[in-house]
Amino acid sequence: MAADTTALASTIGAAGTEAEGVRRERWRTIGRMVWSTLLLLILTFLVVYPVAMLLLGALTNTNPVVDGFGAFHLSLKNFTTVLENPNVHLALFNSMVACGGGTALAVLIGLTFSWIVVRTDTPFKGFISAVSMIPLFVPPLVAAVAWSILASPKSGLINTFLKWFDIDWRFDVYTMGGLIVIFGIYYAPYVYMFTASALRNMDPSLEEAAEISGASATKTLFTITFPLIAPAIISGTLLSFVVMLGIYGIPAVLGTPGDVPVLTTYIFKLTNWSPPLYSTAASVAIILMIVTGFLVWLQQRVISAKSYITVAGKAFRPGVTRLGHWRYFTLGLAVIYLFVVVILPTLAIVVAAFRKFLFIRNVASLFDMKQYSLIHFERLFENPLAMRSIWNTMEVGVVTALVGGVFAFAIGYTVNRTNLGGRKVIDVIATIPVAIPGLVIGVAYLWAWIGLPGGLYGTIWILALAFIARFMPDTIKALSTSLLQIHRELEEAAWICGKGMLGTIRTIVLPLARPGVISAMTLLFILAIRELGSSLFLYTSNTMVMAVLLLDYYEGGNVGITAAFSLVQTILLAVLIGVANLMSRGGAGDGIKQAN
Amino acid sequence: MNFRLSLLSAIGVAALLTAPAFAQDKSLEKFGSPELIAAAKKEGAMVLYTANIAETEQEVIKAFNKRFPEIKVELLRAPGGQLITRVKTEASAGKLRADVVDHSDRALMKGIEDLFQDYAPPNASEYIPEASPSKKLWPRATLVWSIAYNTELVKNPPKSWMDLTKPEYGPKKIGQVIAPSGGTTWTRSMFERKVVDKDYWKKQAATEPVLFPSNAPTSDALVRGEVQIAPILYNAVLPKQRDGAPIGILFGKEGAPVTPFSAGVTKTAAHPNAAKLYLNWCLSDEGQAFMIKELGNLTSLKKAPFYPEGFDPKVVKVWIPNFDEFVKLHDEWIAEWNKIYGYRQ
Repeated sequence: MAADTTALASTIGAAGTEAEGVRRERWRTIGRMVWSTLLLLILTFLVVYPVAMLLLGALTNTNPVVDGFGAFHLSLKNFTTVLENPNVHLALFNSMVACGGGTALAVLIGLTFSWIVVRTDTPFKGFISAVSMIPLFVPPLVAAVAWSILASPKSGLINTFLKWFDIDWRFDVYTMGGLIVIFGIYYAPYVYMFTASALRNMDPSLEEAAEISGASATKTLFTITFPLIAPAIISGTLLSFVVMLGIYGIPAVLGTPGDVPVLTTYIFKLTNWSPPLYSTAASVAIILMIVTGFLVWLQQRVISAKSYITVAGKAFRPGVTRLGHWRYFTLGLAVIYLFVVVILPTLAIVVAAFRKFLFIRNVASLFDMKQYSLIHFERLFENPLAMRSIWNTMEVGVVTALVGGVFAFAIGYTVNRTNLGGRKVIDVIATIPVAIPGLVIGVAYLWAWIGLPGGLYGTIWILALAFIARFMPDTIKALSTSLLQIHRELEEAAWICGKGMLGTIRTIVLPLARPGVISAMTLLFILAIRELGSSLFLYTSNTMVMAVLLLDYYEGGNVGITAAFSLVQTILLAVLIGVANLMSRGGAGDGIKQAN
Repeated sequence: MNFRLSLLSAIGVAALLTAPAFAQDKSLEKFGSPELIAAAKKEGAMVLYTANIAETEQEVIKAFNKRFPEIKVELLRAPGGQLITRVKTEASAGKLRADVVDHSDRALMKGIEDLFQDYAPPNASEYIPEASPSKKLWPRATLVWSIAYNTELVKNPPKSWMDLTKPEYGPKKIGQVIAPSGGTTWTRSMFERKVVDKDYWKKQAATEPVLFPSNAPTSDALVRGEVQIAPILYNAVLPKQRDGAPIGILFGKEGAPVTPFSAGVTKTAAHPNAAKLYLNWCLSDEGQAFMIKELGNLTSLKKAPFYPEGFDPKVVKVWIPNFDEFVKLHDEWIAEWNKIYGYRQ
């Protein structure tokens, strides 16, 4: 009887547990649907709606806000005009060559330095690591201005020195070669960021196995190490390529004098003429979208074809290759890179910021101290907009990094670590903005959001939203690399221990992915601070940002104040990034400790 | 007695205290009625949208604030095409933030005339009628073209526009701002073809000039010695020359093309009185004199208070394009200019 009662109770209990399980499962399903729908709704607001505005602009000759949605005729005329225009063909060709060449150089430099920093015994690695990231702080416009001061064929400082040494050869940065080199050296940090973090988080057991099997260090590097971090290399390569495609400052300053038009300078021209030709600009932008869309698709195919899990629940410290005397050679490479990318251009900017005028007849005139003063800094800080723009920029940068970081993590986790319905669609939509140049999407954001009820327009939030949307692909890619590397067994272990989804994310995924999350937020912060194209239409007199003021000064023909402001911006960024870098390193250490 | 004395003293003191105030009011009358000035001060701020160089505009605001420190002018500067797009879009969404819009292309401003309210400065009758495309829009700034050269590099400077076609100034020595850049460059191009020589563009393009997107980078290239000579807006080079840059400036003997800007007060202005007071001041003799003296502008006043240094109207004739031609010839002539100069559009 007692046994029967116990059996009955246990049957009832089992049935109850089963019912509860079913109920829980139902709630979980509803929760998943709500979550996917929520993400899709936010993405529709941030991406689909503005892109629809852009397409509408490309397919009509109207401004949807001005002319109303009913008053347009859809036609492919803009596309056919653009596709028939030989100037567009030339700009497209030049863009491909400049960005293709630039990317190849960026991969070479970025990968070399990430290997030097993470996997060799080269001295002063902390210093090399910092050096490898510095170009990222430099706004493209500033980098280009610095190099035009250094290597213009007529008045470049390097050429002035060559003349002084009686050397006939001259540098000319106003050429396709010049564009490729400048793109390559300034966008190497994108590759470095991805690959260094992947190398740091990599389990060295396969490399050790290769070494035990008698493979040389070089062979191990090319057959084991680099193939294992292929997602990071591919992500870095793709990101640097598409970012270059969307850059205006470098081709505007260096390509214009040498008559090397690219798509962004062509689009800028279209938006700047009187009257402006936005519909044509939107059509050119669609061409850019198709090119980059194809590349993104290609990247995803390559990555999804293989498994790249290299971070498992085992404690490890990546192996270090002992280079012997060669370590001074690798240190030398870093010093040369530092000289070319940081010291020379900084000197050029310092000269421009402190020199009253940039006419430098000869080497003696360069050192004539009477020509130097603080006048550009005085004028800069006399302008009340300067301080306001610095404050606004910091505010927008922080909001963008925090909100964008959290949102990108939510999407990255949903896409990479769950099997929720709709995650493929979420992935595709979140990737779209990478393909649209900022100059054009800026006006699409304006068209899309200005009419919304509430006071969004005229606040820093409209800028932050635009930056979050525009840089979502970059942030998600930066995060996904870390997420892809965390073995599922760690999460499964947490689930077995009774942790829920959120608990697992909090105790396992976030600590392990923390370096990736912080570097993704840092990247977002930097991108937001430098972003010019999409700011141009969204800032108002109250929300002026540094990038726009910098362009104002440049367009105002005042290289001195432009340089002075660039120095201020660079110092501010360097300080902030230094802090983030420290946090990121602490995070990596903590993450590993916690995982153990 | 004591009371009387006190009263008299009080009246005397009050008279002494209020006298300067009355005197000041009198001196301010040329900028607007006491009611307008009081209302403007009460508003305390205004928003200006301009296509002019931001740094130059800050100088004007600073001078205005010496007269009216109570009014804070918020500035938004954007290149011409982008400014028009922003104004149109904001206005259509009912969110036009500008109280005053100021633009170099009168034709584009005429196209959005409906966005502006009726406004005329107190000295409206003193302005050349052709300089305003509409009774709502006024030539707050009037810019003039000059020819500038780098004194360290050019020992035999040109004397006229026609000299810029001489082979000795080529190749790649002259910087030329492209004709489709905006209202000012379109004016210069019209002048070159209508006044200097109908084949001027062909002859000048034969010297292989370096093309620039706008005036400002041209002035920078001139100072640095990237180009040696450039037709350029006077206000883009005069401040640099004053600061000591190696620049010489002259006005071509065939004439000086002039572009009056267009400025108006928007219908939706949140600060209409401050906006009107700002424009009144800018358009007054005092405002125009400031812009002539400090910035190197000309003026569209029938009788200029004076001319910028180096400019003598007896020697150099001012040329303002006919507005109808300015609108009608634009597309066809710009296309021709692009072809002749090999500029890809």
